[in-house]
Amino acid sequence: MKIVVCLKQVPDMESKFKIVDNTKIDESQIAFKINDFDNYAVEAALQLKQKNGGEVVIVTAGPARAVKDIRQAFAMGADWGIHINDEVVENGDNYVVASALAKAIESIGDVDLVLTGVQSEDIQAGTTGTMIADMLGMASLTNVVKLDSDGSLLSLNRELAGGFAEVSEISGAAVLSVQSGLNEPRYPTLPGIMKAKKKKLEVKTAADLGSDTSSRTELAKRFFPEVESNCEMIEGDGAAQGVSLVDKLKNEAKVI
Amino acid sequence: MAKILVIADHNNGEVEGSTLEVCKIAKELASSLGAEAAAAVFAKDDSVANEVAKYIPEVFSVVDGSLENYTADAYAQALKAVLEAQDIKGILFAHNYNGTDFAGKAAMLLDAGISSNCFKAVVDGGSVLTTRNVFNGKIQEDKKVTTDKFVVTFEEGCVDADAAGSAGTVTAVAASISDIRTNVKEIIETMVGAVDISQANVIVTGGRGLKDGDKYKEIILPLAEKLGGEYGGTRPVIDSGWIEAARQVGQSGKTVTPDLYIAVGVSGSIQHMAGMKGAKVIAAINKDPEAPIFNIATYGVIGDLFEVVPSMMSNL
Repeated sequence: MKIVVCLKQVPDMESKFKIVDNTKIDESQIAFKINDFDNYAVEAALQLKQKNGGEVVIVTAGPARAVKDIRQAFAMGADWGIHINDEVVENGDNYVVASALAKAIESIGDVDLVLTGVQSEDIQAGTTGTMIADMLGMASLTNVVKLDSDGSLLSLNRELAGGFAEVSEISGAAVLSVQSGLNEPRYPTLPGIMKAKKKKLEVKTAADLGSDTSSRTELAKRFFPEVESNCEMIEGDGAAQGVSLVDKLKNEAKVI
Repeated sequence: MAKILVIADHNNGEVEGSTLEVCKIAKELASSLGAEAAAAVFAKDDSVANEVAKYIPEVFSVVDGSLENYTADAYAQALKAVLEAQDIKGILFAHNYNGTDFAGKAAMLLDAGISSNCFKAVVDGGSVLTTRNVFNGKIQEDKKVTTDKFVVTFEEGCVDADAAGSAGTVTAVAASISDIRTNVKEIIETMVGAVDISQANVIVTGGRGLKDGDKYKEIILPLAEKLGGEYGGTRPVIDSGWIEAARQVGQSGKTVTPDLYIAVGVSGSIQHMAGMKGAKVIAAINKDPEAPIFNIATYGVIGDLFEVVPSMMSNL
């Protein structure tokens, strides 16, 4: 099987965020990592390769800093990758990114399966995978929580609300966006890390790929939520906080 | 006149509440844009369409045996039939499981820009300006759809639905649906026979802040037991296998409304909060002062859970 994983690099969500120039995030104090959902996609691809043979290709749109995490996926076991490093794509919207990823996948040729995370932790849109599927004429399914393939038939569970899942099959090429919990993503081994340095990483621009660079949405501004919180904050050191929380729950809220 | 179209989501013959919420937004946007609000219902019979018509002036109903369950391919073909029959300017739906699955496809079909997972949409200079959560809810953004047509999807519960009114018209739209690539076999329950935490009066939930499964058990279980309640977990806790899946609180797990909900080391993702914001009293303990859980908590403790919880234990 030829499997592509669309991988995105995102900020650590525990970071202290600072907004600059109205819409941008100050990156100077931020650590970047692989989008959590994409780790499950990489692991799923590697397991399918182990079972059915083939190769795993990483496709990433992002600036130079993204190379670190593409190499991380190589160290986990992915074979090679395409890095779309182009400001036009970087500043484009979900449609522009989907177009670039779709063209890159097309350029690989004969791809059987494309995996993405269900959404990126930063933009939380969850639309890139299904747009890619449509651009490539492939079937798609999102929120995949169980995934197997015999090389041609995909056996899938799609998560539904409140503890249900939809069991389905897809034959033919597909784009699947996977949920967390699908598997246990592996950690890179030391030999894996050594090998990763030598793996092929092609760098492309939108012009190389011939992708559409006209955004269909525009980011007007970013801001911190104005919160109407009625939360009563409990001060003091840890021990004092524990004492006063118990007191409030007992004597004020009367719930224990 | 151009239409703003809500695509209805339904389950077992019943319309989802989030669809009715989006109907309200559609009516507001339609009135600002000089358009008409309508809904599209794709189902095996007319019953859901008749129900949705109580919330919106006009419903386009595509009826086909293949539409009993949602599939992206069947919905795409049904939507295409509606787009051919009507002048559709905007498409709206809920960003729930089926909505997420269909969002990108709807945008491609309408050949329009999409802003997904929003909680607000207004008309600004003739364009739709949406507001949405990003960076795990720590930041919000205004995003404008710059194409003439638009697709917007909405977080569940972002507005209150209008009450049912007098029934609007239901118009049948014919569609021939074939070649569905997703072969749906069955819907299964993934938490059968397991504990039901939704009945508990007190729930103590641990999140990623507990660091590992052993520490989770050491900190959360005794507190839940001492309070005579149940213990629960966030999605990362379940994904990591620290506790059983039936104890997950949130959109993909249980919705709970206990008298007391104690969130320990829980940052408060939108999906988690959707499952517990109805609790009467919420106490949150987290080291990150910007954790969104504090926005809905009754009592907030910014501190080290490994100090605060033991102190609570020795005072109970």
